[in-house]
Amino acid sequence: MNTKTLMYILKRILLAVVTVWVVITVTFFVMHAVPGGPFVGEKAVTEAVMKAMEAKYGLDKPLSAQYLTYLKDITKFDFGPSLKQRGRTVNNIIFDGMKTSVKLGVLAALIALAFGVVFGAIAALRRNKLVDRIIMIITTAFVSMPSFIMGTLLLLVFSSKLGIFPANGAEKNGLVLPVITLSLYPMAYITRLTRSSMLEVLGQDYIRTAKAKGVSGVKIIFGHALKNSLIPVITYFGPMLAYIVTGSLVVEQIFAVPGIGRAFVNSITGRDYPLVMGTTIVLATLIVIMNLVGDVMYKIVDPRITLD
Amino acid sequence: MKKKLLSVLLASSMLLSLAACGNKTETAEEKASTQTSTSVQMAGQGNENAKAEEGGNNTGVINVCLASEPASLDPAVNSSVDGASVISHLFSGLAKWGLDSKGKVELQPDCAEEFTEGVKNDDGTVTYTYKLKDGLKWSDGKDVTAGDFVYAWNRAAGPALAADYCYMFDVILGYDEMYADGAKGDEKLKVEAPDDKTIVVTLKNDVPYWNELLAFPAYMPVREDVVADESWSTDPKTYICNGAYTISDWQHNSVIKLAKRDDFVDAADVTMNEINFYLSDDNNNMLANFENGSWEFIDEVPNNEISNLKEKYPTELKIEGQLGTYYICWNNNESLLPKSSKLTGTEKAKAEAEIRNAIALLIDRNYIVNDVSKKGEIPASSFVAMGLTDADGSQFYENAGPDPSYVGYYDVTETGYEANWGKAVETLKKYYTYDETKQQFTDVPKLTYLYNTNDNHKAIAEAVQASLSTLGITMSLENQEWATFLETRKKGDFSVARNGWLADYNDPISFLDMWITGSGNNDVQFGKGANKDQKAYSLDITDLGYDTKVENGTWAETYDVIVKDIKECTDSKTRYELMHRAEDLLMSTGCICPIYFYTDIYMIDESVSGFYSSPLGFKFFLHAKVNK
Repeated sequence: MNTKTLMYILKRILLAVVTVWVVITVTFFVMHAVPGGPFVGEKAVTEAVMKAMEAKYGLDKPLSAQYLTYLKDITKFDFGPSLKQRGRTVNNIIFDGMKTSVKLGVLAALIALAFGVVFGAIAALRRNKLVDRIIMIITTAFVSMPSFIMGTLLLLVFSSKLGIFPANGAEKNGLVLPVITLSLYPMAYITRLTRSSMLEVLGQDYIRTAKAKGVSGVKIIFGHALKNSLIPVITYFGPMLAYIVTGSLVVEQIFAVPGIGRAFVNSITGRDYPLVMGTTIVLATLIVIMNLVGDVMYKIVDPRITLD
Repeated sequence: MKKKLLSVLLASSMLLSLAACGNKTETAEEKASTQTSTSVQMAGQGNENAKAEEGGNNTGVINVCLASEPASLDPAVNSSVDGASVISHLFSGLAKWGLDSKGKVELQPDCAEEFTEGVKNDDGTVTYTYKLKDGLKWSDGKDVTAGDFVYAWNRAAGPALAADYCYMFDVILGYDEMYADGAKGDEKLKVEAPDDKTIVVTLKNDVPYWNELLAFPAYMPVREDVVADESWSTDPKTYICNGAYTISDWQHNSVIKLAKRDDFVDAADVTMNEINFYLSDDNNNMLANFENGSWEFIDEVPNNEISNLKEKYPTELKIEGQLGTYYICWNNNESLLPKSSKLTGTEKAKAEAEIRNAIALLIDRNYIVNDVSKKGEIPASSFVAMGLTDADGSQFYENAGPDPSYVGYYDVTETGYEANWGKAVETLKKYYTYDETKQQFTDVPKLTYLYNTNDNHKAIAEAVQASLSTLGITMSLENQEWATFLETRKKGDFSVARNGWLADYNDPISFLDMWITGSGNNDVQFGKGANKDQKAYSLDITDLGYDTKVENGTWAETYDVIVKDIKECTDSKTRYELMHRAEDLLMSTGCICPIYFYTDIYMIDESVSGFYSSPLGFKFFLHAKVNK
């Protein structure tokens, strides 16, 4: 890695920090501007209770003061207490949720990558043959089917009817269905990416040369073609992660997975301000970091690319 | 009492028609089975499954799902029904909901040796003295003392904790001082522990539902050293309780596992060794877990599946009554008269009340419960819900309303609908222009119906909208997300809004005191805003020994006064009569338009016996058996 690359990475990290700060600021003020509050319920609490609660959590102070206190606290990684789940801290809730969500997300990403690349390669090599057609039809279906339909379908078939897998994400094998649901879309997408990029690479001169020199088919594929045809797949790495993070919001709900996605959704409907902030920051940071990693990897795989 | 027999007939005919209407294409045989499942059982009955008793051994483990994770399992802080159900297994107060020898649900003494009669003091206050049973232990082995109760009640009531349900203690002397202006924060309730076994508590006056309060989670004892750290109730290690179970494991947002305590004083009566409360916020997910046999009990079912489930699970799907009313509320400050109207002041207010009450007659409640909501709800024509009892133990709602020929404030039987429609049209004709050829009104101001985003609320709103549009009354629908909706409704920023209320205890006052001027639940805006000083309400309770006789007074001069009288009244019969009068006054405004009485729908596996629920819908599994 030369100094230019290092400079680039440094610049990107700085930009990432600014991005997260913008996310924090916008979320903070928008969240407080939305009507409703954490202590509003179907049954109204008395004014005294409302005042006491607001004082307890510092919500009686001006918004700007709350904002500054918040920024100060998060530099110490203190996300504050949850307003809804009394007695629990946001750090605690996020940590709990991340344990499951990371497992779910990483498994889904790995499965999507592994199967996507293999299916894509097969489809490219058997172009316009029956296998290719079948793979293309299936992937088209997966790409166009939203995860909440896929999830509900899998739940119905494999859990309600057949009873093979539990419908509850916390049980043994409970993550099987959510992982499959979450990985289908990116897997299908990667398959299609790999296929088209592989086809392009296979038509290049250097592959023809290799073939002419009598290099074996397997070696051509794995030694020459695959590496180059993976570049578009790597660029998809960031968007895929974003998809998995946002997709998990839905999937965790369907399969009752105790992850951060559910915490995020519930925090918004319940106006649990510190939890909204905490989960937003974690998810935003995650996406920013993954995009960064994707870009850097892009450079490493393809040295022709100049970074700026 | 008036109307009692008739109302029983009405109720049963409603149930039959309801069962019949649910599934129009089914065979006679299927119909018979559907009827059993849809018949509404009043909550507060044991739920014996005949099949469950037949064979198999009790596995001693039950997997249930009531809802998602409760916001808190601290008995003083909890405000949800599902949380209360879990807490009822973990804590025991002076009283509890149990089964009598016939399997009927009743209040029983729990930590207290017995229910004692209150002693009336000269100033009208009432003092109760309770003795604690022997052998009461906390789950860490320490003795439960009277002092723990005294501490817990002061903690739950006081402003320092700021619990939603602090007002459950407002019957106890000293509560008002805690919240008075200039309170220092060290004010205490009038409850004392002269020794470790004795609790002496003084109430402001005779409270008919006092024993029921003693079984409410907020009244459970907690130990000062345990609750010192606010996070005590989030971790099984620090969760020290005194009930039949302890928390053995808690995976947040996933499952709370309860294990039976062998050192619990009544452990011999507890048949269930382990209760796993699974946590899910998705109805479809709950159903999937029930259908694949993972869970034996689920407390919610997907709304659009109800018709299918009634057919598929005639014995597993249960519908019980619930102390609650689904209703539409009007904003009292919204003008309803056409622009051409010259009415002002009291006349205008009375005309608007008449209009609102007429529009209430246009709503086809039977259609809503049978074809829209489909959960076995009961069409409602009064605000105080079915299931709340009157002075003589009969149903309060059966004795409500002006006309003994039907139950409530209007006739909501299927046969009465046509006559209602005619009556409504006649009334509306007095104020609006009626086009005889089109049979429609032409100058009714446009209404907007506000509801929180939810398929069921939407469908009901559409049914109301359709009824009104037949007469040319335009009503547009507007939905808002839950928290936003609550704030909009509270601020009075609506013309018509969906609303609902569930009782906190079996006493009609919990439906009535919410409408006083200063109440935080006064969504109608009685005595507030533009029509603050509207003089349109009349009240005469001189025949009951009070000197209140107001003709065209303000809300504060009438309703607030009668609610205060109810709260201070010590004679049960008079008190209930006052509550009927208060409801009469409330309903005369037309601002409250009841739609149906809520039901509690759940599914329970055939292998489970001995399950029951309290009138407030708390679910009890400790005496249950799973025979597999």
